[in-house]
Amino acid sequence: MATHLTVGLAQIDCRLGAVEANLERHLDWIARARERQVELLLFPELSLTGYRLLHLTSRVAIRLDRSKVVDRLMAAAGDMSVVVGLVEEGQEGFLYNSAVLLHQGEILHVHRKLYLPTYGIFQEGRFFGQGERLDLAPIDGQALGLLICEDLWHPHLARRLALAGGKLLAVLSAGPGRIGSGETLESQDTWECLTRSTALVNTCWLVYCNRVGWEEGSFYAGASHIVRPDGQIVMRASTFEEDLLVARLDLREVDRVRWRVPLLQTHRRDIEGLK
Amino acid sequence: MSARTRVREKLQLNVALATQALVAFIKDAVETTGTTGVVLGLSGGVDSALAAALAVPALGPERVHAFLLPHSNSSPDAVTDAEAVAAALGLATQNIDISPMVDIYFERYDSDADKVRLGNKMARERMSILYDQAKKLGALVLGTSNKSEILLGYSTIFGDNASSINPLGDLYKQQVWQLAAHLELPEQVVKKRPSADLWPGQTDEQELGFDYAVADEVLYLMFNFGLSEEEVIDLDYPADVVRRIVTLEENNRFKRRLMLIARLSDSAINLDREIPRD
Repeated sequence: MATHLTVGLAQIDCRLGAVEANLERHLDWIARARERQVELLLFPELSLTGYRLLHLTSRVAIRLDRSKVVDRLMAAAGDMSVVVGLVEEGQEGFLYNSAVLLHQGEILHVHRKLYLPTYGIFQEGRFFGQGERLDLAPIDGQALGLLICEDLWHPHLARRLALAGGKLLAVLSAGPGRIGSGETLESQDTWECLTRSTALVNTCWLVYCNRVGWEEGSFYAGASHIVRPDGQIVMRASTFEEDLLVARLDLREVDRVRWRVPLLQTHRRDIEGLK
Repeated sequence: MSARTRVREKLQLNVALATQALVAFIKDAVETTGTTGVVLGLSGGVDSALAAALAVPALGPERVHAFLLPHSNSSPDAVTDAEAVAAALGLATQNIDISPMVDIYFERYDSDADKVRLGNKMARERMSILYDQAKKLGALVLGTSNKSEILLGYSTIFGDNASSINPLGDLYKQQVWQLAAHLELPEQVVKKRPSADLWPGQTDEQELGFDYAVADEVLYLMFNFGLSEEEVIDLDYPADVVRRIVTLEENNRFKRRLMLIARLSDSAINLDREIPRD
């Protein structure tokens, strides 16, 4: 089993509703990632379609079993594992905000977003169905936990992925930026608080891939980053610009941290009282 | 630390980050729509000066079309201050006197109109010219309304509040001042008392009956944090001012939800169908 994994975060801008244009952009960034020997490349949430689709959601939906867009992405990915975000139309015709793992001409895993924010600027619950399953995604003998944006705000999901053997959590995001008085973006501070604490309490690597660019009067804040199993940020992308963040992760670090701090081994499911 | 001190701190904006984001907003809007640039009216005030100062780094001065649209009632400072802004930003300007168009209407049809109506007509005349110039140039109309005046309704509907894109609409007035100072706009523009300049000697704060400093804090507490009128008064804000702000905000909501369409079908525009414009 491989001890290292070279991860790439493609922090791209996306054109709302323009799947063909976004596909070209994906192919371009896959080529750049290949030059840097990336083994697992992540794109942001809804990277193929843009985020704030509202009533255009159904028009850009993709049936995974008969999509030329997915075929072209798979061909470009080759032996690289690539995770893209898209509007998935399920067999039954329902729509999902999904992350799809492509590798060697196959769809290895689909994660349908489990928590759909429907408050403030967010309206996902009106246009998407909730995902119903949580599973680990297989990559090269390793177990990868995939989550989308709001999923991370419900910490039991990351916990379950870690307890099932996940050593790396990958979070796809379209996180709107907020600027306040601080040195850094308010939205970035909030996310880093969450990603760092998630990595820390679950003793796992965590990679957070956010998008950039303006869309419908709101911007996405970038600042994609990589958190070590001890909660420290090792690398961070730029705030407003497209960027490719590449890091070679030593997965054995997870074992070392878990040996020192056996939080998962001592996790309990048998405590009575509050549910 | 007192609650008011905390609110004041929260209203301090990281001006470098905000500038970077808003410049990108204007650039993206022009690129996405395939337009040639922006047109805007320079009033000599801080809002339009800031909008122009954000547009120049986004597009280059040659794609920012600045218009001076004075009326014979406008204060003489309005034109000289607008010219100072244009000079500081390297903008060419075009001067169009709106007096003939505005005055003939009232002279001929309604000579006893009050000053509010005259002011509204002037604001709409400017809008009409800006949209016409935008059509001619294939450009967007750059909005200059800030969050304070939008919430207080201190604007003319379909006049100064009309625009294609508005980079300032989520900035309270004091945040506009912070950005204007950061971008080193001419001091006489940043420092002058805000005025819609709809009649001689008018100032916003005199007409509203309170200072923007207080209004921004009250609006921030209510609009950003959801505090009630009583909770804000409990934080030592003058009760009469808070009540006046609440009344203005409530009475002027119609100005920020344009096109109230009577829904008959199951596909009413904006109610049933929310189609993005990007």
